[in-house]
Amino acid sequence: MSLMPMTGRPMRLRDKFFEFNWGFLFLLTSIACFGFAMLYSVADGGFAPWAIKQMIRYGIGVGVMIAVAMIDIRIWMRLSYPIYAIAFVMLVAVDVVGFKGMGAQRWLNLGLFQLQPSEVMKIALIMALARYYHGLTLEQVSRPLYVLIPALIILLPVGLVVAQPDLGTAILLSAAGGALMMTAGLAWRYFIAAGAMGLAAIPVGWELLHDYQRQRVFTFLDPTRDPLGAGYHILQSKIALGSGGLAGKGFMEGTQAHLNFLPEKHTDFIFTMLGEELGLFGGITLLALYFMALMFALHVARQCRNHYGRLIAIGVCAALFLYVFINCAMVMGLLPVVGVPLPLVSYGGTAMLSLMFAFGLLMSAYIHRNVEIPRTPSLLW
Amino acid sequence: MARKPKAHAASHTPLVLGHDIISKPQTIRVDGVRAAGLEASRRRINFTTIVVAGLFFIVGVRLIELAVRGSGDDSRIAAASINQAIHRPDIVDRNGEVMATDIVTASLFVDARYVIDPQEAAHELVGVLPDLNEADVEKKFASGRPFIWLKRDLTPRQQYAVHNLGIPGLEFQREQKRVYPNGAAASMILGMVDIDNKGTAGMERYIDRTGDLLNKPGDLTATPVSMEGESGNASSGIRDSGAVMLSIDVRVQYVLRDELEKGVEEFHAKAAGGMVMDMYTGEVLGMVSLPDFDPNNPNLSDDNAHFNRMTLGVYEMGSVMKTFTFAAALDSGAVKINNSFDATHALKVSRFTISDFHAERRWLTVPEIYMYSSNIGSARMALAMGRQEHQLYLRKMGLLSRPRSELPEEGDPLVPANWTDLSTMTIAFGHGLSVAPIQVVQATCAVLNGGFRIQPTFLRRSGPALGERILSAQTSNEMRELMRLVVTNGTGKKADVPGYPVMGKTGTAEKAGKGGYAKKKLLTSFLSAFPANDPRYVLLVMFDEPNPTPTTYGYATAGWNAAPVTSKVVQRIAPLLGVRPVDQMMENPLIEAKLVTNGGAGD
Repeated sequence: MSLMPMTGRPMRLRDKFFEFNWGFLFLLTSIACFGFAMLYSVADGGFAPWAIKQMIRYGIGVGVMIAVAMIDIRIWMRLSYPIYAIAFVMLVAVDVVGFKGMGAQRWLNLGLFQLQPSEVMKIALIMALARYYHGLTLEQVSRPLYVLIPALIILLPVGLVVAQPDLGTAILLSAAGGALMMTAGLAWRYFIAAGAMGLAAIPVGWELLHDYQRQRVFTFLDPTRDPLGAGYHILQSKIALGSGGLAGKGFMEGTQAHLNFLPEKHTDFIFTMLGEELGLFGGITLLALYFMALMFALHVARQCRNHYGRLIAIGVCAALFLYVFINCAMVMGLLPVVGVPLPLVSYGGTAMLSLMFAFGLLMSAYIHRNVEIPRTPSLLW
Repeated sequence: MARKPKAHAASHTPLVLGHDIISKPQTIRVDGVRAAGLEASRRRINFTTIVVAGLFFIVGVRLIELAVRGSGDDSRIAAASINQAIHRPDIVDRNGEVMATDIVTASLFVDARYVIDPQEAAHELVGVLPDLNEADVEKKFASGRPFIWLKRDLTPRQQYAVHNLGIPGLEFQREQKRVYPNGAAASMILGMVDIDNKGTAGMERYIDRTGDLLNKPGDLTATPVSMEGESGNASSGIRDSGAVMLSIDVRVQYVLRDELEKGVEEFHAKAAGGMVMDMYTGEVLGMVSLPDFDPNNPNLSDDNAHFNRMTLGVYEMGSVMKTFTFAAALDSGAVKINNSFDATHALKVSRFTISDFHAERRWLTVPEIYMYSSNIGSARMALAMGRQEHQLYLRKMGLLSRPRSELPEEGDPLVPANWTDLSTMTIAFGHGLSVAPIQVVQATCAVLNGGFRIQPTFLRRSGPALGERILSAQTSNEMRELMRLVVTNGTGKKADVPGYPVMGKTGTAEKAGKGGYAKKKLLTSFLSAFPANDPRYVLLVMFDEPNPTPTTYGYATAGWNAAPVTSKVVQRIAPLLGVRPVDQMMENPLIEAKLVTNGGAGD
């Protein structure tokens, strides 16, 4: 255990490097390698166009993660509300000036690069909620007035994201927010009430769903009703997963993927391809790696002596878990199709960067786990 | 649990406390509360751990289930989807003649990992498939990838030759290819399919769509033609055998196309179109739009050749539209067949002048107005009936709304947004309202079949499918006489056929171009029906920008191109359709009709 708080001597950068959990980074890299291999295979054995870009992005992501981890958790705590405010403004801006990619309005063009504010919001939301609950006592947490503010912190961006429309991110945001509130100690009655309201809202929500979203639900309930149309994704995905068997057809030997039966095989449906080529063993190995990463995050949460870091760890854990779970359950036909990538494996830039940033925060919480931060509520920081 | 209080105590060594006191003394007050919070959140973290582990367990079990059970259960789905993907129903004409069918072909691909010598293999392969590029093939062979298409749809001979080369890595994939034995003859009706055998145009697309409708329970019933509900005895055209039977008669289709093609060549026309419809059933027996394409190789032709002028194109049809003005005026009672109208002078309305092409400069009777195709007279007739009445009749005849046959390629008519008296006058002689030719044919059926609305269809019907009555029998009879008059005494003399009397109406419209109507760019048409003694079939022939030839004495109007082509078409298709020839001496269509039904005529 670090002696820093005992002695009062601030941690030097070298100490932080020493404290950095390199094993965790190795774990992440192993997961990412599954992605590189699959992207290499999707391109019929070529680094271009996907694998090489993904590697570069991962490299940048590792840099971001280390940099974020080196910064004191207290600084991140102070920046929590401002970052949330910026993300919120960008989210509003994307509805006004953003252009539509793939039919949904999600991207903001910042000149040099395109930014997906909903990705930024995933981190900002965790930070803001963690910051908020850091300033509350357990008694305060469950008082109705103190429930209202975090509810707004979650629901405002969720509303904007739903309007884009991006149901996957909206689910992710609200579920991660919910997990954070749960860990913060919010009384169970609120969750029961929210669940009941959710059930009651299903008929209303059904009316508000886009046609394609409804189709997905129908298709989820019975994929064979339209095997060549809406059910195509999920049927082909299940066929591919099933055809892999125990050991898979072998690297770069998958027919479903290589004969182009599988749509989106390098992004949301990459797990299917992995299942086909590397079989049950490959799939279970990847799931085990994710599980280990999640357990590490929960371990950080237990170890943390400051509430903010603990909540950050829980938030990152919740986000990672939701990504993995929703994606896997989707390709296995346990959930309707929603656009959620497989973290670190699916091809895609912003999701990868925001995740690595989140892991950086987690690592910062880990490095500074013994820092005690006074729990004062504050409007700004 | 026992460990935790200890850890808690350790964190509250005096040193830490002292540190806290110096920085933020007020935190001591909430210290006990904070400890409780810590404990609570620990419990919640443990709960989270259990939830995460549980859900991961479910995902893992599902993965194992899918992997172990393999594709056994889903093979049914896979097989079903494969079947649906490649099998299309045959399309046959009304006599069972095959118009489109699937054949099994082999497509060649390479698993480049097994190619030993890319250069030599490429050389040998191009030797038997000369249309492949050798350098390109060599690159594919050298790529080392497990699946690359080389050539789709090989003929059995080509497959045999490739097989004989014995190059390792070359493999065949069985595929279905759509073939159209009649080539381009019915391309506008049949449409085409893409490389994956999906219908992308015409009846092929309609079949896919209807198939989709049939698969979707509830919301939409799969009746393809709306009229069928009303008529009851018409069948949908999709047979139990799985073949789709069209209303088309391939022989009629072929003749129509042949004569139109000759016409295009003779008059150097830009385009041409023709359609034959049974006026009692609404069945289309033949439909041609030139230029057209070969559905076996649709990519060889340009967009212009894929444009269906008969259903998708809308045109100001010119004088043939007078037919509907006359039918409306006579049926409304505003005009009697023996009335006369002043056609002495050109008619001036605001800044427009309506004049006659075949000017007679005198008062004309109603039959004369039709016969000489007087614009002035028609405009006055329409005015006599009134704007609203005119509009109402046109709507009832289906000229103001989309025809809604099975073809996906259908155009909306261009109806003036602000229908003034001037619109009524110009529409009376066929300008200011653009309609698809199929609408003209459809409306003519109603005018001549006794006044019953029909719904055009490209699917075989088992019998007459008459809709609501929109004109009286008397109007219909009078219109038959008028149309016969045009051929016997008027502008359409060249359309007549000995033995198969034709009735009709010429139409020569100046095409709207930049800054008004172009005098030299004409759209000529001849709208006809035969046999005149007992009309059954409506035929429309039209030419886009025909040119005068020496034999037409410098004329390019409908009477000189569309009418004679009509004559040639009727000559050839009337016998095919089983029309009995009649003695040319019997002129009055009504009398002739009686004689024919009494068995008085024959050969």
